Order: sequence, then C-alpha cells, then structure tokens
Amino acid sequence: MRSRDIAFALLILSILLILAVPTFLGALGSLPPENIRSLARSILGLTFNPYNKSLWTASPEAVAAIIWDYRGLDTLYETMVFYTAIIATLMLYREVLGSRDEVRGRGLSLIVKRGTAIALPAIVVVGLSTVLHGMLTPGGGFQGGAIMAVAPVVALIVFSRSIIEESRLTYAHLVALRSLALLGIVLVPLIPIIVTFGNAFIFQNQAKALYSFTYPSTVLDVPMGGLITFLNIFEGIAVFSAFTLAFTILLYSEKVSRKAVEGEDIGF
Amino acid sequence: MTVDLVGNLVFLIIGVVSIASVPFVVLAIESKDLLKAIIFSAVQSTLYSFLLFLLLAPDIVLVYVAVSVGLLPLLSTLLVKKVGRYEK
Amino acid sequence: MDFRIVLFSTAVMALYINIAISVYGIIAKPNLVKKFIGLTIAQDTMNVMAILIGYRLWRKAIVQPPVLTNWSPTPEDIQEFVTRAVDPLPQALVLTAIVIGLAVNIFLVAAILHLYRHFNTVDMDEISKAKREMIVGETA
Repeated sequence: MRSRDIAFALLILSILLILAVPTFLGALGSLPPENIRSLARSILGLTFNPYNKSLWTASPEAVAAIIWDYRGLDTLYETMVFYTAIIATLMLYREVLGSRDEVRGRGLSLIVKRGTAIALPAIVVVGLSTVLHGMLTPGGGFQGGAIMAVAPVVALIVFSRSIIEESRLTYAHLVALRSLALLGIVLVPLIPIIVTFGNAFIFQNQAKALYSFTYPSTVLDVPMGGLITFLNIFEGIAVFSAFTLAFTILLYSEKVSRKAVEGEDIGF
Repeated sequence: MTVDLVGNLVFLIIGVVSIASVPFVVLAIESKDLLKAIIFSAVQSTLYSFLLFLLLAPDIVLVYVAVSVGLLPLLSTLLVKKVGRYEK
Repeated sequence: MDFRIVLFSTAVMALYINIAISVYGIIAKPNLVKKFIGLTIAQDTMNVMAILIGYRLWRKAIVQPPVLTNWSPTPEDIQEFVTRAVDPLPQALVLTAIVIGLAVNIFLVAAILHLYRHFNTVDMDEISKAKREMIVGETA
C-alpha cells in the first residue's frame, strides 16, 4: 500500500480515539444524563408560571421563549449574520442581477404542471400556519420560512423562469421585502424604550419589577407570548425571501452567468 | 411493568437507527457517481430526522426535514448538473 | 437499566464514526463537490450530537418534550413538568446553527460555480497545477 493510504487510515483512527476515549471516561457526564442542569430547570419552571408574574414569558413553549425572550439578543445577531451571508452570495453576480434571461424555457409536461399547481398553495398555507402557531406548539419563524421557501423553487423548475419574471416576485420586490422584514425585527424590541421615553429594558416582554411596560399576553383566549408572535411573523418573511432570492440567482442559464466571470483572466 | 418495556424499546430503536446510518455515510463518500452520493446522503438525513424525533426535539425535526431532505439535495443536484456528474 | 446505557453508548459511537469518515472525505478526495457533501454530513452529525446530550434517563415516569400543554396550570402541574421535560437549551442553540449553516452552504455552492466557470474543472489537483503555471508565467 502506498504511504498515502496508511496516513489516511491513521487519521481516521486517531480522530476516533481522540473523541471516544474522553467520552467513556466521563467527559460529558454520565450517558444519558440523570438530571437536566439547574439553568434548564429554572427556565422550565418560570416560562408559563402565572403565580410569579415578574419573570414569566406568556408562552407555554419553552424553546420559543428561550429564542426570542430569554436569549433574544443572540437571535437578533444571528439574523444579521444570515442577512450578510445572502448579500455575499448576491455580490458574486453583481453585473447580472435583475436582468431577464436570454434562453426561453418551456417547463415540464402538462401533467406535472397541473399537479404542482394543486400542491403549491398547500405548501404555503402549511408554512404560514407553522409560523403563526410558534408560541403554542413546535414551530416558529425559521421552521415556517424554510417550509415556505420550497414553493417558489419548485415553481421555478416546473414552470420555467417566465413565472418569476412576469409575476410580482421580481428581484427588486424581493430585496425590498427582505429589508423591511429585518427592519421590523430590529424595531420590535426597541418599541418599549421609544413609547415610554426611556423607562424600559430592550426586549422587554412582560412587566418586570422595575419598569411596567408590557406587550399583551393573550389574544382572544389563547396565550400569545407578547412580542414572540410579531418576531415570528417578521422572521418567517425574511427567511422566505432570502432563500427565494438565492435560488433565482443560482438558476440563471449559462449564457447570462458567464457575463459575471468575463474579464477575470486578464485581471479585473 | 409497561414503563419498563416501553423504556427498553425506545432505546433499542435509537441504537438501531444510528447504527443503520453508518453504511450510508460510507457509501456516500466512496461512490464515484456524484448523483448517487447525493441520494445516499439524503437517505442518511432521513434516518437522522427519525433519530431527532425519538430524542423528543420536535422544533428541530421541522427545520431539519425542510433543510436537509428538501433544499440541500436540490442545491447539490443543480451543482452536479452544471459541473459534471462523474468524479475522475 | 444497564442495557439502556449500553444502547445509548452505541448510538454515540456510531455518530463518532460518522464524523471521522466525513472528515476523511473532506481531506482525501480531490473533487470539490465531494468535499462539499462531506462538509454537510459533518455539520448535521455535530448538531445531532448536541441534542443527544440533552436527553434524560427516565426511571419512573415518561419524559415529554419541553412544551406545556395545560394552559391554566396548578403549581403541582408545573412541578411535574419540570421533573419530566427534556432540556430545551441545546434545541434553541441548534436551531440557530442549522439556519446559519444553510446560508453558508448556499454561498459555498455559488463560489464553486464561480470557480468552475473560471478554470473549467472542479478537480483540486488540476486547479493547483493551472495556478502554478499561471504564477510561473507571470513572474518570468
């Protein structure tokens, strides 16, 4: 055997040993854990506790409460990182953004077109329902946005590109939608400070001991979670438009995409 | 009595599903046809989403199924169509 | 009880084998698309590992996911919920990690397409040979 194969076999074995030996000597605690850690116990005990209203978030779902209320700043920065990654993808194609495609496509056959036309509104409705119920059942902004983003991509492949160019989901509209959604996500935690002229915390959900601004905690007769509902809706719109943008850019024909690369072999 | 039987059964299925995903990873890395490698990786993602459901994480299952079994094989198939299907 | 701990440990070992094989696939195969597939497998496996640590070994009662289903709970209900639910913290962190991972993967696919249109190949050996000739030709 060549020395290259021996070196790779040693690499696999050493990765396995480095990972497995500390685990079975107790580096991760006992497997599986006997008890969850104390931070998780206090979060679970406080998230929908109507007897201790100075620390509660009005949502019976613990994961949504952690993402948008207890650790809300982390999610805000993560949304900004996501925004920047999609901008980096769009910048590689900056000469051809928003232009019409030169090759006319025809799409797939009639049976596929009619079958997809029945299934596409169902996908969008399921995604919207997942976004709106994010504080009661498992769901939320990311989940619903990723489910909704499947629909325009399938439409782009089945019906050919003319459905995007002659509809309202053009490039300029999608960029505007995404920027407005991010603006909404940034403004909703700042509203407590603006409305009470400085007498509130950032990301304040319900009334705390020091300041008493509160978002509404039930809608009709269902617990709402305060600002969790609004943030879920904006996040769903942002994720949906970002994935649609990225896929319409990647699915241009070769003639148009080569324009983004020409001139690079002579240095600009 | 019932708790004892159900307890052992859930752990048994966790063990079987995670061992069943190892041959698919090996096949995905070793095959020379890139389209087959993408399909093997999609099957492995399906087994992982079943494992995540057994570990009682329903939020993660929703994101994982939409991303790893829906959007990512689509993206990779588009890439393979444009750059060439067979590895040298 | 011992049987359950043995099964859980085999699940952890199978995931470690997956990580080792996909890291070998990233390093050893010269095709860029194969490296990309190995990278996605490694990311998914590490996310599943993080959730595996948050599970809970149950002895008397059955565990439940961290969602409260009773909209007007008594203090005993909340106490029972705390002793039964699994850990919600790793799930919140993994949710963020999956979405950012997908955005960076989309950027990687765009970069691979850009490289293909410039060099006409996706094989790393041929690309480094072409770059070496280009550098030697420019400095001569």
